[in-house]
Amino acid sequence: MTDPIQPAGAANAFAQTYEVKAGDTLGKIAQQFYGDSSLYMQIFEANKNQLKDPNKIFPGQKLVIP
Amino acid sequence: MMTKHYKLAGLLTVAAALVLAACANQMEPAQAAIAGVDSAVTSAAGDAGKYAPEQLSAVQAKLADLKASFDKKDYQGVLSSAPAVLAEAQGLLATAALKKEEMMKALGTEWTGLAASLPQLVAAVKSRVDVLSKSHKPPAGVDLAAAKSGLADATTMWGKAQAAFSSGNVEDAVNAAKEVKAKAEAAAAALKLQLPGAAPAKP
Repeated sequence: MTDPIQPAGAANAFAQTYEVKAGDTLGKIAQQFYGDSSLYMQIFEANKNQLKDPNKIFPGQKLVIP
Repeated sequence: MMTKHYKLAGLLTVAAALVLAACANQMEPAQAAIAGVDSAVTSAAGDAGKYAPEQLSAVQAKLADLKASFDKKDYQGVLSSAPAVLAEAQGLLATAALKKEEMMKALGTEWTGLAASLPQLVAAVKSRVDVLSKSHKPPAGVDLAAAKSGLADATTMWGKAQAAFSSGNVEDAVNAAKEVKAKAEAAAAALKLQLPGAAPAKP
């Protein structure tokens, strides 16, 4: 371990996560966590392993909130 | 009658002389015994003071008792007590070495845990700093500047912790790592970031 700055992905025990609920959008989630819905792409980028389209998220999905 | 008195006085004088001679004979060995204990305590004081302070204090108290007995000219008392105190003083080094080994083992375990978790903690904080830095209007109550400053401090301190560990100074490494943790958690609090597995950030 030489670099303390590693990507805060799903393997990071300290990464914040959020379980998608019915009616959620990435914009709403970005607003909730960042106070700025325009940052929704940050969440999308961090979850590309399970999201193909930022407009398609489903209840029960666990998203990493970078 | 007078002859009897002279004889008694003579006997008393001889007895007193013998007692004095005996005392004088014991003074030097008693002094040497105290010097031996003193030397053993002094040579163990460094590590014992750090790793076995209570045992060191106990032996130092016994050494003080020996010196007090010596000052009272109780040389016999010094000579009878000194061997046990000397053995205890000589045992200080072994006790300190054992305690040091235990402490080093515990510090090693602590370091392993910190070394595994801190990079992730710092990464989680950096990730949020990076995202919020892109926002034109950071959320109310978030102190992004404080978080960035704390993150920079944590990163610098982590470098110091690793350097200390590499040079074999596990104690300094663990202390520095604890500072990294505190700074990263403070940065997370400034971001109002609630870290999983950590205490909730203060509002």
